Order: sequence, then structure tokens, then C-alpha cells
Amino acid sequence: MADRFAPGDRVRTRSVDVAGHTRLPGYARGAVGTVVELAGRHPLADVRARGRDAEPHAVYHVRFAAAELFGAGDHSVVVELWEDYLVEERA
Amino acid sequence: MSGAHASSTISAEVRHVESLLEARGLLDPGEIDTRIDEFAAKGSPANGARIVARAWTDPAFAERLLADANAAIRELGLSMAGGIQEQRLKVVANGVGADGTEEHHVVVCTLCSCYPIALLGPSPTWYKSEAYRSRVVRDPRAVLREFGLVLPESVAISVWDASAESRYMVLPRRPDGTDGLSEEQLAGLVTRKGLIGTAAV
Amino acid sequence: MSRINDVGGMSGFAPIVEEPDEPRFHADWEAHVFALNGALIRRGIYNLDEFRDAQERLPVHEYLAASYYERWFAAIRMLLAEKGVATAEELAHG
Repeated sequence: MADRFAPGDRVRTRSVDVAGHTRLPGYARGAVGTVVELAGRHPLADVRARGRDAEPHAVYHVRFAAAELFGAGDHSVVVELWEDYLVEERA
Repeated sequence: MSGAHASSTISAEVRHVESLLEARGLLDPGEIDTRIDEFAAKGSPANGARIVARAWTDPAFAERLLADANAAIRELGLSMAGGIQEQRLKVVANGVGADGTEEHHVVVCTLCSCYPIALLGPSPTWYKSEAYRSRVVRDPRAVLREFGLVLPESVAISVWDASAESRYMVLPRRPDGTDGLSEEQLAGLVTRKGLIGTAAV
Repeated sequence: MSRINDVGGMSGFAPIVEEPDEPRFHADWEAHVFALNGALIRRGIYNLDEFRDAQERLPVHEYLAASYYERWFAAIRMLLAEKGVATAEELAHG
């Protein structure tokens, strides 16, 4: 499967509050950020946490402005996210 | 849940589970001790200090380190393979970036305690604490100040949340006035906090 | 449905405390728990994500009262019971 995103792409994270194990931190739900780079391909942790194996999916470093996440702050936060958590954000 | 009594109780409980697993053929006798010794012989902050000192003295190595840290550290006989499987190492460099802005990086795992443990050994307890994990992502400037690291407003801070499969290490900026030092002496300047980003070096 | 481990951005935890000259482990049993978890994952009894998930499923009051490696040990026992390796009773007798 081709990777869905490339460095510089604007993406929005999933906003649903899923039940069960996930690696999308709550503070980064429903936020818009920029893809920094591909960080490899790995089975989705949400699936593996249920004891099942899964196909590797692309994982990206995604940079968010602190103000986007917390409403304040001049720093940025880079979160490592599976493509399953991301949708394209159109400008 | 601390103190000598609680500690001896949990020691006995852990030993019990180990013997139960040995009896069921799921652990080999002596396996745990061997693993503990192997791990102690491998992971250490000194490995990180060696990598940093080499990067400070060899710009071509620094470039390779930032592009593909797993390959670069193998040049020093080090690897990220000491754990359950080889993990991707991502090294982020403090200093002036391409756009002329000075950047400082700091590492956290807000969801658990991910850390390049195969390379650097166990992380400090403060790194695993809710106190650090909850706050550094939201107000890194204040947290760094508590660690005694006061950064000018002009320095841009990036917090790296180890939320998936990569493990991060910071490449600190080489301190001024260290031109005459050997690679070994330079390595002696590097602290574990410097490799996490809660100290300048 | 955020879980207790998902603390990024939360307020109200205790101040950050550094321990000078902190040892790699604070007691032998911590090193044993660390090594035991690695051994079980390598044997495929469970995977690392199941291990994280098990910690997150601990009752919140137990999770917050436990030290770091106490959480690990509680999660190991939970998974060994759930995977049918041993019963909770067998695992508890120390």
C-alpha cells in the first residue's frame, strides 16, 4: 500500500475518543499539524493490543503548534502517529 | 507501597511467579539473571555521550547520525537492538537551524515511558513520572526552568512525544570554549539530561 | 474514554523530583520484573502493546497508588491469568 502522506502535508487527527488502547494522545485529538517525515511502517498498536497481528501501516512524525493543541504556548510538539489516525486537511 | 516490608513482600511474589513459570517450562532456570546481566552490560548513558562527542568532532558523522541514526551508531559498535527488537532511533539536534532560528529539543513519552533503553539503559524516575509527562508537553519552558535550564524567548522549543515506534535522543549543542578537548573529554561533558533535553549538555 | 496513562497536558500532578545518583533499579525485584517482561514477550506469551494495554486496564486507584514496576508486575500477572498460563490464585501465592 502506498503511503498516504508526504513531508509538508497538512493533516488532521481523528477526533473520536476510542475505547481501548490507542497511541493517539488525548491532547492531540482533532488537531491540525504538518507531516515532518515518515518514521517507518508498523502494525497498528490499537490492533496489536487486542492480541492480533496486523499489516504494517505508515507512521509519521507530525508537528503541531502548541497553540493548536492547548490554546497557548509558543513551542511545537512533534507526535508520532499512524496514518490510521490522520486525514488530509485541505487548506 | 514502599518501604522494606512492602519490598520484601513483592520480592517474594516476583520469585513465586518466576518459579511457577519455570515449572511450566515458560522460563529457563537462570534466564532472568542472564538477561539482567546482559542488559546491564549494554545500555548506558555513556553510549549516548560517545555518540554526541563523535558528532561534535566529525561533521560528516553528525550528518549521517541525523539522517539515519541506527546506521550511524553501528559505526561506533552500538545498536538499538538490545531490547525485544531493533527500534528506530531518531536523533534531533539542538542549535541554529536552516532558517536561522535556534532550536532546543526535549523528549517525553506522554502515554507511557518510551525511551532508547537498549542504548542508554533505564530512564530516570522523573522521566517516567506523571509530573514530567503531563507538563513538559504543555509548558516546556517552565519545566526546563525547574531543571535549571533557562532558554531565551528567541529559542524555539520542540517537544518530541515518543508515541509510537521511534525512540529519540537529543544531540546537544557543543559548549563554547571546548575547542582544545579530546573526543573522550568531550564525552565526559555530556549528561543523561542533555540527551533527553532537560539540560543544555 | 481516555485512560489514566494519557496524561499529556493534564494539571495537578506532584512536582517533578530528581533523584541524585539514581541507581538503574531501586531493588532487585524491579530488575527481575523488567527481565521477566522481556522474556515473556520474546516467547510470544503476549506482545508489548498488550502489556501497555494491561497496565492501562488496571483499576485507576491501584494504578495511581502503584510504583512504576509495581504496575508492570500487576500487568504481567493480569496477562498470565488472561492468557490461561496460570490462574490468578496460583499467581498470587507468594
